Amino acid sequence: MRIVFVATAAVLAPVAAFAVDYLSAEQAFKLMFPDADHFEPREFPLNAAQMQELEAQGVRARSVHWTVSVAQRAGAPLGYVVVDNVIGKSELITYAVGIGLDGAIKQVEVLSYRESHGQEIRLPAWRRQFVGKTAASSLHSGDDIANISGATLSCSHVTEGVKRIVAVVALARRSGGLP
Amino acid sequence: MNPRHLLAMPLKAVLAAGLTCLAGAVFAQSADPDEMARRVDELASELATVKKQLSELEQQKANAMPASSAAEEPTTVFTSYGEINYNRPTHEPENAQADLRRFVFGFQHRFDAQTKLVTEIEFEHAVTSAEDPGEAEIEQAMIEHSLNPTWAVRAGLFLMPVGLLNENHEPTAYYGVERNFVETAIIPTTWREGGVQVVGTFENGVTFQTGVTTGFDLAKWDATSPEGALSPLGSIHQELALARAYDLSIFGALNWRGIPGLLVGGSLFTGGATQGQAVVSASVTLWDLHARWTPGRWDFAALYSSGSISNTAALNMPLVGNPTLIPESFDGGYVQAAYKLWMHGSQVLSPFVRLEQFNTGRRYADLGPGLTPAARPTEQVATVGMNYQITPGVVVKADVQHFREDQDADRVDLGLGWSF
Repeated sequence: MRIVFVATAAVLAPVAAFAVDYLSAEQAFKLMFPDADHFEPREFPLNAAQMQELEAQGVRARSVHWTVSVAQRAGAPLGYVVVDNVIGKSELITYAVGIGLDGAIKQVEVLSYRESHGQEIRLPAWRRQFVGKTAASSLHSGDDIANISGATLSCSHVTEGVKRIVAVVALARRSGGLP
Repeated sequence: MNPRHLLAMPLKAVLAAGLTCLAGAVFAQSADPDEMARRVDELASELATVKKQLSELEQQKANAMPASSAAEEPTTVFTSYGEINYNRPTHEPENAQADLRRFVFGFQHRFDAQTKLVTEIEFEHAVTSAEDPGEAEIEQAMIEHSLNPTWAVRAGLFLMPVGLLNENHEPTAYYGVERNFVETAIIPTTWREGGVQVVGTFENGVTFQTGVTTGFDLAKWDATSPEGALSPLGSIHQELALARAYDLSIFGALNWRGIPGLLVGGSLFTGGATQGQAVVSASVTLWDLHARWTPGRWDFAALYSSGSISNTAALNMPLVGNPTLIPESFDGGYVQAAYKLWMHGSQVLSPFVRLEQFNTGRRYADLGPGLTPAARPTEQVATVGMNYQITPGVVVKADVQHFREDQDADRVDLGLGWSF
């Protein structure tokens, strides 16, 4: 059990490196799905048509390689977690997005923040704005997601990243790539 | 090849082979059911021990992952921002000017997980030489060291945590072609000092900064120049250029961002400014209160700042007769509203309006009848314009500014700015 967990974290968060690490991927997974007894990483490579589909939704796929961890309890899926990195202003922000079986965001956690300014994006009040949003939501910083003054770039880049992850997970489920 | 595989696969293979052999031996040699049960128990116990060791090994390797992957991350990051502005006075168009206002480049370099260098090098007005108006300056050069997730220490030449603009002064971060008057005439943005500060960022949304720095030098006050009337502190700042450091200053800043979209904060700076060069000692104090609220597409901001200089009567007495004496107090404030009117992809068009009021010579110390300068008139400026973000990091700006006192200063501004 534990071995699977560690392996999953290592696959999903290969760059938990610099500066302030608030949470490990393992801790974030447990926070998001405390009832899960297993997190199974599923590779979901995007093909050209799927990337175009995302583009049509206004989402830049950025990478063809996506790993979605399926939270499970006794073999039954509870939801999905994706760990990702985006650049804030000039350094990487590592964050995790938990998505329920209904496709709505359950939780967003900031695992690591490296910029000199804007650490406030890890505040629960800011992250709570994402809860309940789906692939159909606007998910636009400065619109339905309020900015943090002085951390505009970090806010907008994490928001873009979350939007991308929700869209990729929705696509993976539609195409049968996820349970 | 992934080092995890190098380590893990042989170990797993050896274990699997070993356990297979062991199990074979058990079943081959034991016919007695009790003996067999005992051996199975032993085997289960050994298997549990091996699993535990394997788990620990995996954990150790997982923990070691960040260190190995860290080398793959860029440790040095290049940044830049800049702006090219065009100002056309409405009533005196012959004074229209185009200027590469500033071109800034910088880099951050990480020495390790906790420690980095932050630098910014700025060129103003395109050409810097003895015959040209340009300046070259180091805007930031500081080491930042994280102590833990809450506290960090900064040392070197850093931006003062004052107002809304000083630490976030890139053209993409503010509305209008030119920076607002309050945060240039009263708060001398981009204001930096040399020193050391601690920064605390707390879970409740509070950011606290405090430190000891160099300060201003009143010996630089030029009573014959109008510069002191344009920006009292801007004319006596030292910017860590052979800065006189007999007097040190202290500052504190508190900002709260506990509600998404809302920032409320303030700062206080105070310190000696005669630097042991005058017979009297005087100090400079500056404080500000500010708020910014960005609900949905709206962006509201308000700021008030007030500064004072002590013992100006004694300092001004030898300067009497000159046009620009040292003010005892100066202050200003503004309110601003902007709205994201149109958004298409990453393009955003945001009209805004800003009303400012400021006075760089609110009060002068009493020098006696006929000698005490009259308080300067309070200037009011209304700015209406728009920021057009072509893509995040590139902005085109246009605005119209109306001055209530100095109406000859009314102007139309156009600007191009970038930041990355």
